[in-house]
Amino acid sequence: MARVYVSSVVAAPASKVWERVRDFNGLPRWHPRIADSQIENGEPSDKVGCIRNFRLQNGDQIREQLLALSDYDTFCTYAILESPMPIENYVATLRLTPVSDGDRCFVEWSAEFDCAPEVEADVSNGIATNVFQGGFDALKRHFGG
Amino acid sequence: MVKVVKSTILNAPIDAVWEVLRDFNGHDSWHPAVADSEIERGRTSDVVGCIRKFHLKDGSLLREQLMTLSDIDAAYSYCLLDTPVPLFNYVSHVRLFPVTDGDRTFWQWEGNFSTPAGEESNLKNMVGNDIYQAGFEAIRGHMGVAA
Repeated sequence: MARVYVSSVVAAPASKVWERVRDFNGLPRWHPRIADSQIENGEPSDKVGCIRNFRLQNGDQIREQLLALSDYDTFCTYAILESPMPIENYVATLRLTPVSDGDRCFVEWSAEFDCAPEVEADVSNGIATNVFQGGFDALKRHFGG
Repeated sequence: MVKVVKSTILNAPIDAVWEVLRDFNGHDSWHPAVADSEIERGRTSDVVGCIRKFHLKDGSLLREQLMTLSDIDAAYSYCLLDTPVPLFNYVSHVRLFPVTDGDRTFWQWEGNFSTPAGEESNLKNMVGNDIYQAGFEAIRGHMGVAA
């Protein structure tokens, strides 16, 4: 089981950052790598179990299912159903935690998955850098730090 | 039940912060409210169940027991056994998380306790500001890291 963990600090209250990332169909509005997204079967994006079908800027198509969504603990957990990446059993969680000392929040994005040992380092680095840190960098730019 | 949660970001790697915090008997070297501290019965401070007996600068005597110590999670929990202040069933959790972006540390310090009616907000402020927030500032000074 491979594990990827990336964390950062965003200069805005957790509630503000949550407004921006809570929408499971909202990736194209805040993540620079995502071109477009839709929820299958016309379901609302906060219905646990819904599936988002989205394309990256490079044309790759990915389907992910929402497994958990908490407005109280400000996190969401999802699984990849289909993707061009050589991985299986991928489950990821994006979590926001308030920082009481200053108007900022602690953001964590982690994933666990299975993949062949010979590609594990490359796949892990790609997810950590392009997806997770890339998303955090976009949030930091949007919220000014 | 009163719950207090305070948290901060330290500009230091988690291993360096944990090295300071994991010593359950080390708070007299960095926390401004603590005058002296010792572990009872000659135990070492990493024995779960050990009790630290310490004086605050105002002379009051407190005893706290270590209930959890986790090097894998960089976390510990303790409860208050004796105190002159009306904090009852006080349990506190300290946990560090790595901030991979910049090799920093997120530090969360939480307390749960009960207290006589009317004392809640006073004691919540005392614990949150004089102990937790003051501890954050003191560790920055102790470790020589900027805010």
